Amino acid sequence: MSAVFKREFLSYFRSPVGYVAIAIFSFLSGFIFYSMFSQGVANIGSEVISLRSFFVIIVPIITMGLLAEDKKRGTEILYYTTPINLFSVVVGKILAAFALYAVMFLNVIIHAIVAVSFGGTIGVGSVGSIIVFFFMAFMFISMGTFASAITDNQIVSAIVAFVIILFTQVLSTFAEYIGSAFKSIALSIKISSDAAAKIGHNIDSFISWFDPFAKTTDFRIGIFSVSALVFLVSIGILFMYLTYRVLDKKRWSQA
Amino acid sequence: MIEINNLVKKYGDKRAVSDISFTVNDDEVLGFLGPNGAGKTTTMNIISGYLSSTSGTVKVNGHDILEEPELAKKQIGYLPENPPLYNDMTVREYLNYICDLKGVAKDQRKNQLDRILSLVKIDDVYNRLIGNLSKGYKQRVGIAQAMVGDPPILILDEPTVGLDPNQIIEIRKLIKSLSKTHSIIISSHILSEIQEIADRVVIINNGKIAAVDSISDLSKRLSGQTKLLMTFKGPSKDCVNKLRSIHGIVSAIPRSSGNNLSQIEISIASDNSTEVRSSVFFMMANAGWPILELCSLDPTLEEIFLSITSGKARK
Repeated sequence: MSAVFKREFLSYFRSPVGYVAIAIFSFLSGFIFYSMFSQGVANIGSEVISLRSFFVIIVPIITMGLLAEDKKRGTEILYYTTPINLFSVVVGKILAAFALYAVMFLNVIIHAIVAVSFGGTIGVGSVGSIIVFFFMAFMFISMGTFASAITDNQIVSAIVAFVIILFTQVLSTFAEYIGSAFKSIALSIKISSDAAAKIGHNIDSFISWFDPFAKTTDFRIGIFSVSALVFLVSIGILFMYLTYRVLDKKRWSQA
Repeated sequence: MIEINNLVKKYGDKRAVSDISFTVNDDEVLGFLGPNGAGKTTTMNIISGYLSSTSGTVKVNGHDILEEPELAKKQIGYLPENPPLYNDMTVREYLNYICDLKGVAKDQRKNQLDRILSLVKIDDVYNRLIGNLSKGYKQRVGIAQAMVGDPPILILDEPTVGLDPNQIIEIRKLIKSLSKTHSIIISSHILSEIQEIADRVVIINNGKIAAVDSISDLSKRLSGQTKLLMTFKGPSKDCVNKLRSIHGIVSAIPRSSGNNLSQIEISIASDNSTEVRSSVFFMMANAGWPILELCSLDPTLEEIFLSITSGKARK
């Protein structure tokens, strides 16, 4: 696992990918921090929350090559013909992307130091937001790695990752839409309006249950919920396992 | 030692490999021959653990590749058709990475790499990026990669493909020197190469084994087809007719003609192979057609290979 981690992490800096990702993140975080700081506000928590909306751009960039590139180069054969375990390959790759995220996050640490040195404080809400940020990063990186496992084309991989992550970000809107659609279907087949509203509401709240952003809103006001973190980790591990299955299945392929 | 028993690999309805069994003995070089799409690479991929078989077993020094994959894979070094190289790493970084993957202990690493580097002769490019190396060097790095971890068995899938003649000779020398200490399975299109290196040959066609034999036995098996090639000055038509009347000659086929030279390929019945030459000489001398060249055509592996595979295909 450490071998794969080391190679993968260093390979970010052998190509432009690592630098591009860090540059984008630095620009975005710097811009957000600057626009708050110039108005006399230095809320690290809300900076981190704003940065979450850019997972959809940065995660696909850093995960697109993780497995797709191996397939294209023919180096994936090493994972199958050396004594290394396939699951530890997946873990090593995800950790490498996660480590790159941690490096990018140094920007925010610098901003925090600047904020504190100008008399700002880091509240418990900010700490909560940072914790959520890292758990979400893990989950999205897992999703992106999965997208990278199903194709040998980096562009396709990036687009799939983009769509999956975008979908989680608009999940609440999507839930509302599906809920109201079901409500109108129910109304059209002559169910009482109360019951129809209930059906719509239930479907809405069922889909919304999966919304990682809604689950973790309380962290920003300092209310930490273990179940929300367990949820993020579980989804991350689920995609990790799916990635492993995709790799393992290739060996058994009959097509 | 590798034991392969009743190996089958299906892709949908197509059998890429069907019911293949053979063994590779210790310190033996086994040549693996077959036309494109015969199932050579598939078989090698299964032996190395990259693919799994639909049915059948592969045992590497007693370890089943599916039941004890880690132990079995430790015994094998695999060079696939396209060497699994990272162009963005230097040879040093790459070989250390392979050591990590194969779990080579840190204290043995330096010794082992030094030995491999001097054997494969890549010391001079050790600190260069793999992406900048020539194809020959890349192939050597690929072989070095297979040797990391000191596996007793090496599987080389077309190791000389795409190399220039000098590089081919060097890689061939390298494989010969490795064969003293390793069991090697080598597949190749260059049949003379197999002839030079291998102790035994497995010929595979359409996913089935066409022949397993030592090269000399294979030649004997086909010795009924001893042939002579004669180049002379004279009319080819008349000569063919005269040749056919000589006892022991089965057929005489004109090959080419030009610059008033003729070439005739003569097939001889196996029991008469020596007598025929003197008869031919006197016949030609009497007719006044000077023989410029008369050589015997030993069946090359190429012919053995063609006669076996095309024969099976016709059936």
